Amino acid sequence: MTKYIVKRVLLSLVTLWLLVTIVFLMSWALPSDPARAILGPFADEKLVEDFRETFGLNDGFLEQYFRLLKGLVTFDFGLSYGTKQPVWDVLAPTLWRTAKLATLAMIITTPISIFAGLIAAKFRDRRLDRGIVLTGLATSSIPEFVTGTLLAVVFGVKLGWFKAVAIIPEGTPPLEQLNYLFLPAMALAIVYFGYIARMMRAGTIQAMDSDYTRTAAMKGLSSSQVMRKHVLRNAMAPTITVMSVQIGYLVSGIVGVEVVFNYPGFSQALLIAVKQKDLPVLQVAVIISALVYMVATLTADLIIAWLNPRIRLEMGN
Amino acid sequence: MEHMDTEGEGLAISPLQGSLSRRTLVKRAAVAGLAVPMVGSFIASCGSDDETSTTGGGDTTGGSETTAAGGSETTAASGGTEGGTIKVGTFKPAGPLDPIAQADLGTYNVVSQSFECLLGPEGDGVGPALATEWVANEDSTEWTFTLREGVKWHDGTDFTADDVVATFERIVAVGDSIGGSISAGATTAVDPLTVKVVMNGPNASFPYLVSLFNPQTAITPAAYEAGTTLDGSPNGTGPWKLESYDPNAGAKFVRNEDWWGGKTPLDALEMIFFTDQASENTAQSSGATDVIQSFAVVGGDALLADENQNVVDVQAATHREVWFGCDEGNFTDVKVRQAMALSINRDEIVETLFSGKASVANDHVMFDLYPFHDPDAVEQRAQDIEQAKALLAEAGFADGLSTTLNAVDLGEVPQLAELIQSMAKEAGFDITLNVESTDTFYGTQWCVTYPCAGSAEFGIVDYGHRPVPDVYLLKAFKGGGDWNSSQYASADLDAAIVEYQSSAEEDARKVASGKIQTIMWNDVPAMIPYRYNGLAAYSKKFTGVQFTALGHTIVSAASQA
Repeated sequence: MTKYIVKRVLLSLVTLWLLVTIVFLMSWALPSDPARAILGPFADEKLVEDFRETFGLNDGFLEQYFRLLKGLVTFDFGLSYGTKQPVWDVLAPTLWRTAKLATLAMIITTPISIFAGLIAAKFRDRRLDRGIVLTGLATSSIPEFVTGTLLAVVFGVKLGWFKAVAIIPEGTPPLEQLNYLFLPAMALAIVYFGYIARMMRAGTIQAMDSDYTRTAAMKGLSSSQVMRKHVLRNAMAPTITVMSVQIGYLVSGIVGVEVVFNYPGFSQALLIAVKQKDLPVLQVAVIISALVYMVATLTADLIIAWLNPRIRLEMGN
Repeated sequence: MEHMDTEGEGLAISPLQGSLSRRTLVKRAAVAGLAVPMVGSFIASCGSDDETSTTGGGDTTGGSETTAAGGSETTAASGGTEGGTIKVGTFKPAGPLDPIAQADLGTYNVVSQSFECLLGPEGDGVGPALATEWVANEDSTEWTFTLREGVKWHDGTDFTADDVVATFERIVAVGDSIGGSISAGATTAVDPLTVKVVMNGPNASFPYLVSLFNPQTAITPAAYEAGTTLDGSPNGTGPWKLESYDPNAGAKFVRNEDWWGGKTPLDALEMIFFTDQASENTAQSSGATDVIQSFAVVGGDALLADENQNVVDVQAATHREVWFGCDEGNFTDVKVRQAMALSINRDEIVETLFSGKASVANDHVMFDLYPFHDPDAVEQRAQDIEQAKALLAEAGFADGLSTTLNAVDLGEVPQLAELIQSMAKEAGFDITLNVESTDTFYGTQWCVTYPCAGSAEFGIVDYGHRPVPDVYLLKAFKGGGDWNSSQYASADLDAAIVEYQSSAEEDARKVASGKIQTIMWNDVPAMIPYRYNGLAAYSKKFTGVQFTALGHTIVSAASQA
């Protein structure tokens, strides 16, 4: 198992290096000038030139590339082109905010989705099953920023039950922050419900139809024991895999919800870095996104291995 | 929804010579006792994040009072309650909080809370801020500024003439030169509270160029290095001290207890950044913010109809320039340019794009909101398809002319391009549209190289508000101007610009303005079909909130109602 983890970590480092290189090459291929993009088309040329000198934009390709790699290895990420603040100071608060929102969204959606998937599988092909499947299809088809806008207008502005925008005043107690985060978290939870419930349903049906489940039932175990000890463990594997991918998406892909609720999270920071051609921020943000995906998928694999001894053995080999 | 009444009184101190006259003081005190006059205008900054899309015909039954353009009243709030924090929704700064390099609304609004200029907005024009008096010599080639006594920087040190000298020298060193008006060594300290500035040429508009309406001239300490940012080195002379700054979330300011303008009624100011107009509107409607720096007619219906909001609607010189390549291509013949200008229906454009919340313009930048505008210089150009066809035929295009109109994808510009395309078709113009995002447009269609060259022969670009048209004239239309995408070169216009800038008296400026209007109207280096208003709003829980033409939110006199 240790060998497996070490191998995954080493592979991850290679993947990260490839990602950084691709982002760097793409930034070179893009037609516009980061200095002009930041300072605007009406800025004096001398100001633009000074900007280029300050950030080494006039240096050669290889010089810039190796400076980037050196900075990443020594955790010296440099300054943001857009704000002249250290890159980590720009991104760290956004990461924390996104982590809060993502955690709340997963807390809301995970138990409901898993339960719904189980129920749908148990009552397979009946009305309840069809209702859950259709609901899941519908909710996952609607973009989260559309759901978010509806929630904000109805529950935030019209009814006033929750805050319509997630602008959390400094010093707000954690429990009170829920008031601000609930609607954006629900917008995400509604979308993810579909993915997770359907995956849970499929995994449960497969486990329920398998030989070992039939054997367990014929041995005389009660249906709840069969579900708990045999079905659930095997049904969870694909669901956990889907959830790990969703976690990665929650960190870097929810810009629509962040914009609708004006929540200054990581996705927005990433988008702004792209638009402004703020390369130092963009490169670190891409690495962080990749790291989140890698950690999430590795964690998912380890949980699956813990649940399923056969997989544990395969990893060990 | 209650309208804000504005007196529109001429409290403006003449920019040509500034001091607090007794007459002005009395008038100001009288106005302070009335409902707070909301003189403000609003603008999208040139070339950057213009989020004030006003496209389409939204229902604006709420309406709002149109006020005079350009300035804001600096009176104290009337009868408000002291204490508390005000939350201002504003555009996210697009760049660093660098006073010299600031180039967008969001940055202007943040930086201006701490850093001040020599002159500030007042009434229809400018008034004292860090300078209390300013006087020119006979031909406006030298300006002398008397600085306000007793001003301190936030770090406790004294504000002196050395700070002004250092700031202006720094500005010249990075290439700005305050609109080309001064050179290195032009600014000297006569004494600790007096600064003399020698112009490159006669310039009667210089006070405007060192006012809040030219944000890059914010005065910074003598020891400040170019490139220093407000958040990197918090300081200033203004009413608010920066306490914290998160470039993605917002900024918090606390009262400057030693501000020269007195104690601000409010304790703190919180600026909340937005990247999306719709969410900014929602925040204002739901009470998450108390002030919204700008919003558009389209999408702003809820705010316009909201009885809990005070909406400010102010005319500004913000406009779109539809430039023609005058040096080569299809538009070198003035008849072709005139034909195009005659083919559009400006009233219909204003109604379609702004629901009437804009003013028809007349293909020159000496707009009617400037006091020196000559209303009799030229007639208002109206659509005349037959004349347009005749001119095209005279120019050798009896069978019509094909061209591409390049437009920046910003606000209502793409819709303006579509309207021009359909209107000009009747006159014989076959226009293909090319709309590009702001990321690429400025580098590929407009001023490809610097100073401006290589622009497309026909395009639409955006210009933000200026309290005087000097920047438009010098940069966009003077021969060799940095932003002269038309490559227009007219010795007559250049001479008229010099005459205008040299004229100290309003009558003389009006004469010069009339000449500029006439030349630009006849030559049509660019079509300028309209200038448009700005909208801002604040909750009725507060009073005394002010806005400026460049999107500044001034809450130094604001208080809870």
